[in-house]
Amino acid sequence: MKIDVIIIGLVAALSGLYALHSSFGLAGAGAGLAVMITYALLLKIKPKKPAEKTFFQNIRFKLPIIIVIAGIVWVVAGKFNFPIWWQIEFVSFAFVGFCFFTLLDWKTLKLEKSNFDWVKRLLATYALASGIFIGVTAQLPQFDPMLELEKLNKPPVKLSGLAGPEVIAAGREVFENNKCFNCHKVFWEGNSDRGPNLGTKQIGLYPEDYIKEQIIEPRKKQSPGFDDPKSVKAMPTYYGEDLSEDELHALVSYLKTLRDPTHMPVEGKFGEQWTWWDDKDVVAEGQQVFEGVHPATEGLSCAVCHGKDGTPMMTGALDFRNENNTDTTKIEGDHTDKVLKDWPDALWYRRVTRGVPNTPMAPWGMIFEHLYLWKAEAYARTFHDPLEKRTAKRPVPPVPTKEEIESWKSKELFLDPLL
Amino acid sequence: MENGYLSPSFRPFIQVMMKQSQSPFKSTFFKSLICLIFVYVLGHLTPFLPVTSNPIFANLSFQTLAHAEDEEEEEEDEGEGEEGGGEEEASAEEEAEDLSYLTDIGPAADHEFKEFSFLGMSNRKLTWAAAQLHILFASFILGCPMFVVIMEVMGARRTQGVRKAIILSNVFLAVLIGVVIGITGEIIVGIHHGVLYGLWACAFGALFVSFLNYFHKLMNIRASAFVGAVFGALLSMALTPVEHYEVSGIILALVNGAVGGLISNGIMFAQSDYKFERLAHEITKVIGICYSFTALSGGLFLFVMLVAYQDFITYLISSFPVLFMVAYPTLFILETIIMYIYVYSWDPLNKSNKKGRHIVTGVILNILGLSLLVALDGPATFMQTPPKPLDQLMNISEWDKIANMVWMPLNYHRLVGNGTFGGYMVCIIGAYMYLWSDKKEEREYYDWVGYIGNLIGVAIMIPLPAMGYIFVREIYQYDATIGMYIMSDRESMFMLVQGLLVGTMFSASNIYMWVSMKRIENAERFFPAMKFGFILIVISATIWFTPRRFFATMLPEPHMNPDMVLPDNLAFLALMISKNTAAFCLVTVTFINYIFYTIATKTGKVHYGKVNPLAPYVLIFLGFADIWLMSWMGTIRELSRMNWHVYKVFKDVTPEKFAPSLAESGFHVTTLVWTFFILMTAIIWIGIKYPKTKKKEVEPTQAEPQMAE
Repeated sequence: MKIDVIIIGLVAALSGLYALHSSFGLAGAGAGLAVMITYALLLKIKPKKPAEKTFFQNIRFKLPIIIVIAGIVWVVAGKFNFPIWWQIEFVSFAFVGFCFFTLLDWKTLKLEKSNFDWVKRLLATYALASGIFIGVTAQLPQFDPMLELEKLNKPPVKLSGLAGPEVIAAGREVFENNKCFNCHKVFWEGNSDRGPNLGTKQIGLYPEDYIKEQIIEPRKKQSPGFDDPKSVKAMPTYYGEDLSEDELHALVSYLKTLRDPTHMPVEGKFGEQWTWWDDKDVVAEGQQVFEGVHPATEGLSCAVCHGKDGTPMMTGALDFRNENNTDTTKIEGDHTDKVLKDWPDALWYRRVTRGVPNTPMAPWGMIFEHLYLWKAEAYARTFHDPLEKRTAKRPVPPVPTKEEIESWKSKELFLDPLL
Repeated sequence: MENGYLSPSFRPFIQVMMKQSQSPFKSTFFKSLICLIFVYVLGHLTPFLPVTSNPIFANLSFQTLAHAEDEEEEEEDEGEGEEGGGEEEASAEEEAEDLSYLTDIGPAADHEFKEFSFLGMSNRKLTWAAAQLHILFASFILGCPMFVVIMEVMGARRTQGVRKAIILSNVFLAVLIGVVIGITGEIIVGIHHGVLYGLWACAFGALFVSFLNYFHKLMNIRASAFVGAVFGALLSMALTPVEHYEVSGIILALVNGAVGGLISNGIMFAQSDYKFERLAHEITKVIGICYSFTALSGGLFLFVMLVAYQDFITYLISSFPVLFMVAYPTLFILETIIMYIYVYSWDPLNKSNKKGRHIVTGVILNILGLSLLVALDGPATFMQTPPKPLDQLMNISEWDKIANMVWMPLNYHRLVGNGTFGGYMVCIIGAYMYLWSDKKEEREYYDWVGYIGNLIGVAIMIPLPAMGYIFVREIYQYDATIGMYIMSDRESMFMLVQGLLVGTMFSASNIYMWVSMKRIENAERFFPAMKFGFILIVISATIWFTPRRFFATMLPEPHMNPDMVLPDNLAFLALMISKNTAAFCLVTVTFINYIFYTIATKTGKVHYGKVNPLAPYVLIFLGFADIWLMSWMGTIRELSRMNWHVYKVFKDVTPEKFAPSLAESGFHVTTLVWTFFILMTAIIWIGIKYPKTKKKEVEPTQAEPQMAE
């Protein structure tokens, strides 16, 4: 073999392996190497003249084999939790493979004897191609154009005369029309993790100006965990031009409703997420709130009662240093069986935002931004569970379901009647 | 000059010039150099010139002219106002005067153009049909001449004139190849200005090596590659505007220069094969007829638009006054003239031993064709990505409207797409003629034509995904909403069908190679490896076809199943990284099979004419799939503007502003492809088969007197 051919082949193979390694790590490079070795081995096989097979001979072994393969594919896909439609897809492709291999070993066609023969075959070829393309396009999931037409015929969002819930509904429409779902989930809705889940992140906790800035100038401040170069460029910068003032206002109104009274906000990309309990920046800011030095919560100081170092300064004030503290009998229906270290997020939130009846613990949620109250809670936990001593992060809670979200409203977990 | 019109002092200068012109090397060299400098200056400076410093484009804009006239009128009004301060009564009378007769066009003013239906075809469907047919024929007449010229070169005896012409055709080919490799490098490796590195290095590498080869210097192919690499890389580095050189860019330039050198040497010293000449000539006959159909369908498209979307077409044409009044007609007329010269001068120039001139005509035809393609991509892409800010759209020059964000990506995409299209059309021609031939020699020849067509189609199809990728990347940069509409919303299932089509095409192409290899001696040694490749193809196609969700919009609409979504931990299978890997795998397997095929043809005897009769049908299937895919991608591109004729500038307010469903689109595209195929079948018959039949009938009567002589 010529040396230059060997060099070019080697360079191509190494480049391929490098590309696979950078995309899929060792597994990718390993798979690539396995493919190369298989090719090399197969090329070493002593050639034998391909035998002409009848249709029955052709499929005699292939059909049982493909049925077994299809069965394995079905079971393995099921084990990996692929929904049934994907299982059907994979099995269908296994049968496409069967057709391929049947065609490859198909015996040589007979020569056309008359014009009718080639016309027949030609029409069959066209019919096969047309049948595949028409069939596939007809069988794949469809949308109803009339629904789109309805949307297109809707007048643009105008807020004059609209009340709160209608503005929020209009904002939701703006969110959908501008394809925000393509990158952002809203709790259980949507199916892309390109950007943060605006529901579990609880974007609604943030001030309106901040949300507006995130829409209009998204590059100014990245959401934690989304500061890699690809994510930095992902959010389009044209919404400031595209959205009318009314649309922007409605959109922000909708986003302000995205909150969760039962869980700490969640940050980071899917697969690498964390809650505010484990966020050192949040804890640091929470300390400022707790100690009464945060400018956004002027007039609030948790340390006045709970002590700057955690030593309660007032009788009855909860001692955050004792992880086994049981202070949950003061409110009817509290989790009486749970000690402090096991308190659910919802309990922390409720006690701080609604206060504890018959105690000096006031409903601070009526006065201060809940954004900061969550942060103060994240800090309060560090008294019995210091950040630096944690060996593992607290588990990221499951995404609330549609039913759970609806129950927040019926149970009136929010203070705001619009939520 | 001899009659005394020239001053004697000029005579020595003219004599020197004439002497120079007698030296073919110097003359051609200087002319080429001047041309290249001109092209460079035009290509590099024009897009960056501010509107004000570009009076030709700026002043020829209708809007600008109208604006200028308004200004003049205002100035005149102001002047009159100053002079006629005391003539208020008179001006009041003037104001009251009814001048509506000047603009009143009569009872036709209230005429409204309404939605209509004809045989189930509405305004949109008729426009769609006319546009689709036009673009398919246009692709044929733009795609096929590209390699017809190369085929002609491969089939021409290497006379002095042909060798000169080869220098030009080599540079032309090198420009195309350089651009393609450059973009691929830009996309895959992320090389800044990869296109320019590729273009200049390959073109100059080819130019320099071709010149040396012409003088029988640098005969060794490796030496040619080396010299092409060094010379091309040096020039491309000088011409590419980068702040600092990067190793990847230099490597790309070296590779492109080497490719330029290789192809130049390969083509210059290739042994001429008459089969190529015959193939080129036959396809040219078809091109001639297709040219008429392109014009006819273009006219039909315009008429339909004038009826169905008259406001919009008026707006679009008036937005590009210079293009539609001057550039397009000029290019069109020039191309028509050159095309007819090319078609009808084939035999006369062959007989008078002036093949080189014919090749040069072919290259010029291609340059004009590509210019036409690039020119009309301007309005097409303007509709998709009108330059921002949109409120300044009326104040920018026509050039700025043409050179919008996706203009160049679409040019690249269509250039490569047309090349692939041309390759598969050759397959179809070969397959049809194979079926229509009864002589052994004819069958051998058309079997070979099918092989060549597939070779070209596959070779050009390999970089095609990269071109599509760069196009969509720019769309995302312009407005991610369009990209999302394509990839995740109403067109997501359309894209799934695209994946299926690409998989089908790669599969069919590989099946053809498999079937063809069965007629090559000693090719069996590759069969086990090729079968393994087919397994990889099926796996790759499965991954490409795997969607994130099986409902046809971003969020489930009524009557859709919201559970048809991949769980988050499996979503990576539907992401671009997996799709790219699948595409890479498809391309690599095809490329490997292509290498096996090439090795087999070189090391074993090919029994042309004895191919499995399945082969021509596979080729026709492949061609059908390719043309269907082209039509489908055009549909996706057009629908991605949503309910806008010009995105966010000119809204579609007709009843058909919505996206048609997948099933409806699939059926409509299939009927259009059928229409095209029926027409093409007739054209191939009339262009190639019928003259042969006629000749056969006439031959015996002519033969007798010849024998008598």
